[in-house]
Amino acid sequence: MVMTVIDDDMFTDEVIADPYTYLGRLRAEAPVHWNELYEVWVVTRHDDVVWLARHNELFSSAVLKNDPRPAYPVINDSDLGLYQYVRDYRADQFIQHDRPEHLEMRKVVHTYFTPRAMETWRPFVVDAVAELLDAAEARGEMDVMRDLATPLPVLVIAQMMGVPRQDRPLIRSLAEKLLYQFRGERDRMPVLVEGMQGLKEYVAPMVEERIVSPQDDFISVLASGEKEGVFTRNQVLVNSALLLLAGHETTINLLCNGTLAFLRNPDQWELLKADPAGRTRRATEECLRYDAPVKSIERLATQDIELRGQLLRKDDRVRWFISAANRDPEAFTDPDTFDIAREPNPHVAFGSGIHHCLGATLARLEGQEVFKALAERFPALRLATEEDLEYHPSITFRSLKSLPVRWD
Amino acid sequence: MARTFRVWVDHRVCVGNAMCESFAPGVFQLNADRQSEVVDPAGDTEENILEAAENCPVSAIFVEDAHTGERLFP
Repeated sequence: MVMTVIDDDMFTDEVIADPYTYLGRLRAEAPVHWNELYEVWVVTRHDDVVWLARHNELFSSAVLKNDPRPAYPVINDSDLGLYQYVRDYRADQFIQHDRPEHLEMRKVVHTYFTPRAMETWRPFVVDAVAELLDAAEARGEMDVMRDLATPLPVLVIAQMMGVPRQDRPLIRSLAEKLLYQFRGERDRMPVLVEGMQGLKEYVAPMVEERIVSPQDDFISVLASGEKEGVFTRNQVLVNSALLLLAGHETTINLLCNGTLAFLRNPDQWELLKADPAGRTRRATEECLRYDAPVKSIERLATQDIELRGQLLRKDDRVRWFISAANRDPEAFTDPDTFDIAREPNPHVAFGSGIHHCLGATLARLEGQEVFKALAERFPALRLATEEDLEYHPSITFRSLKSLPVRWD
Repeated sequence: MARTFRVWVDHRVCVGNAMCESFAPGVFQLNADRQSEVVDPAGDTEENILEAAENCPVSAIFVEDAHTGERLFP
């Protein structure tokens, strides 16, 4: 076998279309790999990813505050000022903090998202899915991305935030601008900043009102954090944007990537259809594992650390790949097989440790209800294109550009 | 007399989110694998233990009345 040097360009068309071959090779040949081109350690084994995620004192989440290196993929030179705005904005979000501040901030929002509390949202999600599918049903076709996966999470988050019904289109348009955060286009900054500023301006009066008279919505929860002295006003505002983006992009990807996995594995689609209510929970976990919504997460080493014979130096960037860990043959039998009955399924789609995804239960719930509803209502579901499907050039997200389907 | 709790953590599920440790530090502590371990089921108030269980993001914590066997969480 001839060993070839591993190409460090993680944004080639080939790797964006199929990250699994590239990451699988890294995991087998160089599980802790220094990517010279992007100056980042790439970690791909399941056990290493879990270890790294759980050693938060060794790997800082305050990346935007402390990493001076420029945006990648590159942006237009004229947008450097806007990039600084984006850095400052995101650096103030709670997920970009380490302990002890992170614990205080997370405690403010954590209780809102408990499994029990999220379960009370199931009827709302069921109704929202039904409405979206009703609107598409007679056409016999839809773009899963545009008609289902993009609007559904915004409906849910807008309701959680306490946004009045008539403002939903505005929230949806801001949410779609925020999606540019992890895209690869050189000119993505102006749109993103418009979304970030727009959301802050929209939420500001709501916060003002809820400081005085709290309600049972999520903006009130953030406002209570300001009253307790945990959040500044700016942090309340930027964390509202965080909720809108974090709950949006990731859920879109779960719904689209999961639906695509079923379309490409008809035996598993048949299995789900035979018992949608009984099988949708495990099936959703397998969708999260098989083609995870988030491909990778970045941290900064807080000290020199030795890992698999490599020396990670203090302040080095470290990127751990969920998409690689979830296909690790040492953690999963037949890791490249989509098996909706897989159990146990210790995937790391939501990360691990103190930064484990706050919205995990909600994402699961949305996935469960969508896959169940599709199996019940559109049993003849199939891809409506012969062309290769395209993905956004991101190493953070596994995002389809569209997913046209038919069921007539 | 106060009830005695039986408390345990399912390590197949625990992701080491460590919220339990913050809600009831006398009961839960992270072990070497950074998963939650019950160090003393009587190490905190009933209220704090149940709050810790409720706030586990992956529902890995189980609480029973040690005497009657009644399941208190989930």
